[in-house]
Amino acid sequence: MAAFKVKVHMSKDFDRMALDEAPDAVIIISLQGVVQHWSAGAQVMFGYTRAEAIGQSLHDLIVPPDRVEEECRIRQAIVDRGTCNHESLRQRKDRTLIYVDVTGKAVSDARGVCEFILFCKKDITLMKVSRDAKMLDAKFGNLLESMPDGIVMVNSSGRIVLANSQAAHLFGYGAKDLCGELIEILLPPRYHGARIGHRSQSVSQSRTRVMGAGLDLYGVRKDGTEFPVEISLSPLETEDGLLVSSAIRDISDRKRIELALQEKNDELENANLAKDRFLAGMSHELRTPLNAIIGFTGTLLMRLPGPLTGDQDNQLKTIQTSARHLLSLINDLLDLARIESGKVELVLEQVVCQHIISQLAETLGPLAAQKGLAFRCEVPTTEIVLHTDLRALRQILINLINNAIKFTETGEVVLHLSEREAAGNRWVDVSVIDSGVGIQPADQAKLFHAFSQIDASSTRRFEGTGLGLYLSRTLAGLINGELSFDSEFGAGSAFTLSLRAD
Amino acid sequence: MPARILIIEDNPTNMELMVYLLHAYGHTAMLAPDGHAGIALAASALPDLIVCDIHLPGMDGYGVVRHIKRQPALAGIPIVAVTALVMVGDRENLLAAGFDGYIGKPIEPTTFIPQLEVFLHADLHALIDPTARTHGDHPDR
Repeated sequence: MAAFKVKVHMSKDFDRMALDEAPDAVIIISLQGVVQHWSAGAQVMFGYTRAEAIGQSLHDLIVPPDRVEEECRIRQAIVDRGTCNHESLRQRKDRTLIYVDVTGKAVSDARGVCEFILFCKKDITLMKVSRDAKMLDAKFGNLLESMPDGIVMVNSSGRIVLANSQAAHLFGYGAKDLCGELIEILLPPRYHGARIGHRSQSVSQSRTRVMGAGLDLYGVRKDGTEFPVEISLSPLETEDGLLVSSAIRDISDRKRIELALQEKNDELENANLAKDRFLAGMSHELRTPLNAIIGFTGTLLMRLPGPLTGDQDNQLKTIQTSARHLLSLINDLLDLARIESGKVELVLEQVVCQHIISQLAETLGPLAAQKGLAFRCEVPTTEIVLHTDLRALRQILINLINNAIKFTETGEVVLHLSEREAAGNRWVDVSVIDSGVGIQPADQAKLFHAFSQIDASSTRRFEGTGLGLYLSRTLAGLINGELSFDSEFGAGSAFTLSLRAD
Repeated sequence: MPARILIIEDNPTNMELMVYLLHAYGHTAMLAPDGHAGIALAASALPDLIVCDIHLPGMDGYGVVRHIKRQPALAGIPIVAVTALVMVGDRENLLAAGFDGYIGKPIEPTTFIPQLEVFLHADLHALIDPTARTHGDHPDR
């Protein structure tokens, strides 16, 4: 029955139709490579209209720069052997890459001389993706599902051939949605141009790049939102060509923590600056009235305005001592603030211990003499040299000697210098020994605490800031020294600064 | 030998103390309560020595020393900073800014004038007062 209905349209040009309606791209070029014919299939496949393509070099239109040599080889093979079939990458007008299966045929004139080359190109991009996907599945199975990171593999055409479920989840896609898509759908649009244009090279030139080694990178989810990612890339050679494997990690949390830390850091730095300004301001403001107090007490005691009675002299001396005490307190507090903020820069130098001890004896000996105390130095004749910060060392010893003089009513203060070996190390000990009140065993534990001045009598006979020993021990720690003491209540104390000599 | 000494200081009590001490040692004091007045007085009176506070209204001590040392007629007058700025680095900064000497507050009344007198002798100008110490290096504690 159907045979009756068969009708042959003699008027139709079926040759033309076959050429134009075929989904494959049919292209004819001259031996010089200039496009002569550009079928409708070619227009769809490569994105160039017939008008744009005719007369142009086929190289310029669809051959990626790194495939030019291959294209030339193929054409030569066609001319030589009459026909050739191959599979390769070609570029569309929008610069995306597609896999094509190409059959080429030489078209000869009546004398058998090759005149044109006819190409029939079939887009096998998606076929290649599914081939690669199958190959990867056979290779890795479920292995990549157990990876903590999102794994995405891309073939030479820039299409995703594998995405594990972590990757799909990361970007907000269903488990199988990503396969076959261009990798660009996972990247913010601002990166697209650069990446598509260089796909062919970037895949063939890719090297292993570790996580975090790159710049700040962002991924884009299916819903268009961006998130910071860390990506490590590595090339993966397979029998079907080179793939690029990437491990992707969402670092939103880390970025957030980093930002919070940065803000906290800035805040602390500002607080620190504010503290420094406060301390400097406090120091300045407290010294101004102290200048008048100490100054005018001094002029009175110098009897510049006139003679003083015994009581006046005593009371003025009390004012003077108290004012100086206040000044020491300010200085000690500033020192502590400086040490505790880590602002102290140590200047290490060669220090001859005997020299510093004799200097201290010269400065502080008179103070002992004023109280009727003997002041002696016991030092070995061989020079003992330390590599340390002179200022810290001096400050510690000055504190210790001042204490010794302060807490000793009769007898002597002795500066003792010695060297010893302990556990293979050479140590230098500088001791300040007095015959003063000593320290009760019950008080010894809190000796080095701030503001814990131990004063046996309630009359506070001994002026001091209560910071001296605390400051000294802190300073000793700063120069890797140890401060220890030995005391017998009522008989005297010995404070020893021990420093490593090597 | 009595000298004519210019004091630039905004705190009246501190000014009074220094003036009192200078008089007690037989020197003449000229007073300026701020930097601008100090510079004007220096230029008109050409003192033997200038004592200058640093925190001053209007032009501070750094401004004063810059101005004094730039003017050939005044550059030879020794200028000593007497200041409560005694944090680490203050002394070095002030000497670098052009001050010939540095004395930290509170001043020690028994030694203050002798410390200043060192600067009155031309041949001792280069000698920076050895007893003035920056905070953190006090041998008396």
